Amino acid sequence: MEQLKTIGRELAMGSQGGGWTGQSKEFLDLVKSIGEARSKAEEDRIILREIESLRRRIAEPDVPRRRMKEYIIRLVYAEMLGHDASFGYIHAVKMTHDDSLSLKRTGYLAVTLFLSDDHDLIILIVNTIQKDLRSDNYLIVCAALTAACKLINEETIPAVLPQVVDLLAHPKEAVRKKAVMALHRFYQRSPASVSHLISNFRKRLCDNDPGVMGATLCPLFDLITADVNSYKDLVISFVSILKQVAERRLPKAYDYHQMAAPFIQIKLLKILALLGSGDKQASGHIYNVLGDIFRKCESSSNIGNAVLYECICCVSSIYPNAKLLDAAAESTSKFLKSESHNLKYLGIDALGRLIKINPDVAEEHQLAVIDCLEDPDDTLKRKTFELLYKMTKSTNVEVIVDRMIDYMISINDNHYKTEIASRCVELAEQFAPSNQWFIQFSVSNNFTFQTMNKVFEHAGDLVNVRVAHNLMRLIAEGFGEDDEGADSQLRSSAFNIELLFLHSELEFIYGNSTHIAAKILNNILCNKFLKMVLIFYSCMCLFS
Amino acid sequence: MVRLYPNRCQLVGSAFISGFLISLVRSFIIDYYLFCSFQIHFVILISRQGKVRLTKWYSPYQQKERSTVIRELSGLILTRGPKLCNFVEWKGFKVVYRRHDSIILVILNLYASLYFCICIDPDDNELEILEIIHHFVEILDRYFGSVCELDLIFNFHKAYYILDEILIAGELQESSKKTVARLIAAQVNVTERCVSLAF
Repeated sequence: MEQLKTIGRELAMGSQGGGWTGQSKEFLDLVKSIGEARSKAEEDRIILREIESLRRRIAEPDVPRRRMKEYIIRLVYAEMLGHDASFGYIHAVKMTHDDSLSLKRTGYLAVTLFLSDDHDLIILIVNTIQKDLRSDNYLIVCAALTAACKLINEETIPAVLPQVVDLLAHPKEAVRKKAVMALHRFYQRSPASVSHLISNFRKRLCDNDPGVMGATLCPLFDLITADVNSYKDLVISFVSILKQVAERRLPKAYDYHQMAAPFIQIKLLKILALLGSGDKQASGHIYNVLGDIFRKCESSSNIGNAVLYECICCVSSIYPNAKLLDAAAESTSKFLKSESHNLKYLGIDALGRLIKINPDVAEEHQLAVIDCLEDPDDTLKRKTFELLYKMTKSTNVEVIVDRMIDYMISINDNHYKTEIASRCVELAEQFAPSNQWFIQFSVSNNFTFQTMNKVFEHAGDLVNVRVAHNLMRLIAEGFGEDDEGADSQLRSSAFNIELLFLHSELEFIYGNSTHIAAKILNNILCNKFLKMVLIFYSCMCLFS
Repeated sequence: MVRLYPNRCQLVGSAFISGFLISLVRSFIIDYYLFCSFQIHFVILISRQGKVRLTKWYSPYQQKERSTVIRELSGLILTRGPKLCNFVEWKGFKVVYRRHDSIILVILNLYASLYFCICIDPDDNELEILEIIHHFVEILDRYFGSVCELDLIFNFHKAYYILDEILIAGELQESSKKTVARLIAAQVNVTERCVSLAF
C-alpha cells in the first residue's frame, strides 16, 4: 500500500505541465512533511519551526533575490495554514519594487494575500503601483491592476484613478478588462470619487472584445441596482447583445459545455430583470429574446439549467407575460421532478418566485413540495420551509406552523432555530384564524419553547418574551367581541391560560420543585374567587 | 388583568426591547460584509482530511476568523453525502462546494479528493457558482495536465495566479478558458526567460 502511494506520487509529480521553476529541495521537504503530519499539533510544530528559521534567514543581509522569492512563497504557505508571518510583510513589499516580472509578480501576490487595504504598509506600495500602471510591459500593468483591486482603499483612490481611467483605452484587451474591474472596485469602495467617470462603463459596453464587455456588466449591474431609471435607455442595447450571444455570434472561445457564453447570458438576464421590473414598456423589448433562450436552453447540462433558472427569475420580476410565465412554470416542473437534489433546490426557489405572481401555481406541485420537506437533505428542507413561509394563508397556517415547530425541535443549529422560532410567531400573529386559536397556540407552544429552554435559552427567551407581550396586549385590550357571553367565556379561558402561564414561569424560576405543587393547586381551584386570591398571593411572593 | 401585574409588563416590555436591539446590532454587523449585491466572499480548497490547500478572501476576515470559518465549513461540508445538494446555508450566507477527484489517483485507487468551496450571498444563482468552480477546475486541468491534489500542494502559488485571472474582487472576470491560458502562458514565458537570464 505504501509502495503504491509513492508510485502514485511520483507519477503525479511527473505529470505536472507547469514545471518546477526553481523550488528548492527544502521547500519540497517542508510540504511533504506537512502532508505526512499525523495531527494538527505536529503540523503546527513543523510550521512554527519553519517560521523561526525563515525569520533568521530573511533578516540576513544580501540574500539573493531568487532565494528571497522562495522565502516569501514559504511565508505565504505558512499564513495560508493559519499562522502569523507578519515579519515577512516588509520583504514582500520590497519585492514589488523589483524590475524582473517574475519577482514583481511574486511580490504582488504575497502582498495581496498578506495585507488588507487598511494596513500601514500600503503607503509604500501605492507609489510602486502608480509607476507600474505606466509601464510599457502590459503584464506588469496587469499585475499592478490586480493588486490595486485588493489594496486600494478610499484614501488612495485619487492617487491611481487617473492612470486607471487612461488604461481603459489600452490596446491590450486584458488590460482594459482589468481596468474596468478596478474602476468597479473603486466605485464600490467610494461611489463619490468615481461618480463622474460612470460614462466610461457605458463606453466599454460597446468594446470589441467580448471579455471586456462581459467584465463591464459587473459594474453596470451595481449601478443599475442603485438607480434603475438612468439606465432604461440601455435596455435595447442589452437585449441586442443578449440576442447576439444566444445566436452564437461570439467567438467559440466563450463557449462552455456547448452553451454560448452562458456566464455572460446570466449576467445580462440579471440586469434585464432589474430594468424590466414594473415597467411594461421596457419589458416589452425583453419578451422575444427571453422566449428564444427558453427554447434554446440545453436542460441536460448544469450550466444550461443555471441559465434556465436565471430566465425564470427574470420572467418573475419583469412585467408579467402569460406565455413566458407558462414556459417558466413548465421549466419549474421539470426541475421539481428531476432526480438531482440541486435541481430540486432550484425548483423550490423558482416556485417561490412564481407564486408571488400566481399563487395557484403551487397547487399542482404539492406532492413534490412535501417530498422535499421530508428529504433527509437539510439544505433542501430549509429551502422548502422558506417556500412554505411564502405560501401561508389562514387556511393552512396551523399545519405549516406545526411542521415548523417539529422541525425546529429536531435541529441543533442555534442561529437557525431562532430564525424559525421568530418566523413561527410572525405567521401565527399574521394569519391566526381566530384570537382563541392564537392564545391557545401561544400557550401550548410556550411549553414547547420552555422545554427547549434547558438546552437552548436564547431563542426560547426571545420568543417567550414576544409571545407573552402579545398575550398581555390581547387580554388587556379585550377582544372587541360584542357578544357578552362569548366575551366572558374568552376571558375565563384567558384566566385559565394566565394561570398556566404563571405556572410555567414559576417552574422556570424555581425549577421542578414547584411543578407538583402548582399542578395540585390548579386542579383544586375551579372557583374564580379563589383563583384570584391565589394569583394575588403568588404575585406578592414573586415581587417581594 | 394588566393592572395586577404592572411590574411584570414593564419587565416583559424591556426584555422584548433589549432582544430587538440586540438583533438590530447583529444585522448591522452582517450588513457590513454584504455591501455589494452579488459577490463571492471567499474561495477555499480543502482535502478530504480537512487540510487547507488554497484560500482566497475577498471580504475582510481576520486571521482568527479565517481559522474558525475553515473549521466550521470543513465540519459542515466534509460530512455531507454524495447525493445531496452542493449548497449549504451557513450563517446567513450560502456556500457552494464541489468535490474533485483526479483521474490518475482514481486509477490507482487512492482516495484523495479536493473540495472546492465558494461562499456567496443568499440571493445569488447557486448553479452558476457551481459551474464557475468547474470552469476553474477545467483551467487547472489544462495547465497542470489533469490536476490532482499534489499539483496544488506543490504549486499552490501558480494556482493563485490562475485564480486571479478568473476571479477579481469577488466577481467573475473572464469566462474564456483560451484567454486565461494565453495570459498565464505569456507570464510563464517571460519568467522562464528571466530564469535563464539570471544564470
